[in-house]
Amino acid sequence: MATTATTTVTVTVTAAAATANSVPTPTPPHPRPVAPPALRAPSTLGPVKSETPPTPSSSTATAAAAAGAEDPSYIITVPSYSAWFSFDSIHDTERRLLPEFFEGEAAAASGCRGPHAYKYYRDSLIRRFRARPGRRLTLTEARRGLVGDVGSVRRVFDFLEEWGLINYGALPSGSKQAKEKREEVAQQSLLPSGATVPRKLCTGCRTVCGLAYYACDKADISLCTRCYVNNNYRPGLSPANFKRVEITEDAKSDWTDKETLHLLEAVLHYGEDWKKVSEHVGSRLEKDCIARFIRLPFGEQFMGPKEDRMGFENNDDNTDEPGADVSKRLRLTPLADASNPIMAQVAFLSAIVGSDVASAAAQAAISAQSRVDLNDSEIETSINSTKEEGSSHTNGLSVNDLLKEAAANARAQLEKERNSIEQSLSNIVDVQMKEIQDKICRFEQKEMLMEKERQQLSCLRDLLFTDQLAVMQHQQRTPAAVTECKGDEKPKPVANMS
Amino acid sequence: MKTVSLGASRPSAVNFRMPTRDNLVPIRVDVEVDGQRYRDAFTWNPRDPDSEIISFAKRTAKDLKLPANFVPQMLQSIQGQLAEFRSYEGQEMQIKEKIVPLKIDLRVNNTVIRDQFLWDISNLDSDPEEFVRTLCDDLNITDPEVGPAIAVSIREQLYEIASQSVSVMREKQMSKKGRRAPEFSSNSKAVNNAVDLFKYFGSKGSVIRKRKEWYLYEPVVDVVASEEDGKEEAEEESRRRESCKSSVPLIDSDAELQS
Repeated sequence: MATTATTTVTVTVTAAAATANSVPTPTPPHPRPVAPPALRAPSTLGPVKSETPPTPSSSTATAAAAAGAEDPSYIITVPSYSAWFSFDSIHDTERRLLPEFFEGEAAAASGCRGPHAYKYYRDSLIRRFRARPGRRLTLTEARRGLVGDVGSVRRVFDFLEEWGLINYGALPSGSKQAKEKREEVAQQSLLPSGATVPRKLCTGCRTVCGLAYYACDKADISLCTRCYVNNNYRPGLSPANFKRVEITEDAKSDWTDKETLHLLEAVLHYGEDWKKVSEHVGSRLEKDCIARFIRLPFGEQFMGPKEDRMGFENNDDNTDEPGADVSKRLRLTPLADASNPIMAQVAFLSAIVGSDVASAAAQAAISAQSRVDLNDSEIETSINSTKEEGSSHTNGLSVNDLLKEAAANARAQLEKERNSIEQSLSNIVDVQMKEIQDKICRFEQKEMLMEKERQQLSCLRDLLFTDQLAVMQHQQRTPAAVTECKGDEKPKPVANMS
Repeated sequence: MKTVSLGASRPSAVNFRMPTRDNLVPIRVDVEVDGQRYRDAFTWNPRDPDSEIISFAKRTAKDLKLPANFVPQMLQSIQGQLAEFRSYEGQEMQIKEKIVPLKIDLRVNNTVIRDQFLWDISNLDSDPEEFVRTLCDDLNITDPEVGPAIAVSIREQLYEIASQSVSVMREKQMSKKGRRAPEFSSNSKAVNNAVDLFKYFGSKGSVIRKRKEWYLYEPVVDVVASEEDGKEEAEEESRRRESCKSSVPLIDSDAELQS
């Protein structure tokens, strides 16, 4: 058994292309996915992964799912975008595209409905196909051999067929090759015929979507409007999961550079008159023009500093242009077609801004440039002659120095002025303060004087009062006793003292 | 320690569904057009959108190279069975704690399989698919078409029992309206078939089967050559009469699939 296995394997190896990489084992091998050569064109997909099917055995001891090989010299090819597949595990691609087995209550609640069931379906389908690789495996035949509900089997079958793990290159396979080209979910770097990528195809009915399609995040499915309305999607999803996505006009037919340039010229010339713009552009409707114009990526650069941007790329083209708009724009066409995006932008900017401003900016740029050049060239020639270098350097240096000195002087003077002003201000403030203080002092003195006078007055009043009393008492003393007078008099001197 | 009487029924009313983990419907299609006959049996998920039925029918017809006038009849048949299933769906069914015997008696291509086993109806997590896969693995059945056929047959029997329990429920409700005693045994076959657990697991019984009954519960698989058809069928008939104790809803013995 072993020898036959090895001989058959060697046969296949020599017959196949050099990239075949098979490991001969007599037992049913696990096919190891080989990394595909990255730059291989998809139409000539060589055997990316080859596998020797299990050697034919006469016993029927194998499980129902695994089928014996018929012809061991077949090479089973798998397209490169499905190179991730392995019998041992479930890949992310599968999880994403068939979430019903991996997510949701059905899968979570039961290990059987979930990944285990998926693996069983997948493995048995693939083994079944590989038993008869040249023949196309039909769904009916397959599902009859699988225990489970036909809906799930059909989905797994479709998935495997689309990814080329089943029925790849099988005979009635005209449709399969067409399916290859269509990649809604581009996994690997290789996209077979990437030119059709922008087209949006509906997962449900496999037709090109029209203006808008409905995208579902959960399951990465895009449906055309009709399928969405008819609920033509898997039972795990509900209408709420879908988002409406508009297809841009660009996707329908790309704008060539020429058309874009025409558009820009027209806009510049006609402003907002979209009718004329569309005429100028030619084969585009008004709304197409508007849409395209809005989507042009130039918007921010309108605000940018033109001088810096149009550094020295612009020299050649705009300086010697007298300024007729049309001729300038005509001359821009070769630029715009250049692959250099910077040139295209510059051309556009100059066209937009107008000839005068553009030429002025260019002149300024050139002069700045020339200065820089001079300095640079001076530095360069220093290698040849040091004197020249020295003189030019000193010249340059002295000029610089003078400038610097002047600047410094000016600054110093400014400082002085400022200081003097501050000084005088502070003097004034001091004087004012003094004045106020003097005034305060005077006021205080006056107050004190007033106090004194008041006191004197009160003293005088008291004296007067006592005098009056004395007089009255004298008048009354003659009839009254001497002790009473004394009693009256005593408190008075006390009062006087206080 | 009180022995719990296992024979007591603890009915619980649930909304109608297949008493299995996955609510899948067994569908049997038998269409005849212009002398060509197409018979098939498969499991369908009733939650799939109806558009799938059409595409499935078309695809099957294309795969089997059937003429296009098969498709409308197939469609009708499938949709009819689904509609019937759905008509039960709103109603309640009563799941008593019953263990029912199920029977398999099939011939698929060249394989004949006969089996009888007990199934717990009240276990809503039961999985006929897993059971069948294990069965096929254990019995080394090589023909992959046997598995699905057995699964469909099990499901059909379970479906039958479930739908009967719906009618039991309905009768019960009607009887309640009539103010009669709530508990009464109906004449439905399913109840008669229920194994009296108490008899088995009561104080005297044991879980282990008696040796003399083993032969009844062994699965029998025969791979026959096609010439022995007539003889086989006669043998089947006689064996069936021996082993079957009560009338169990049988599936068609000639569940042949068009190869």
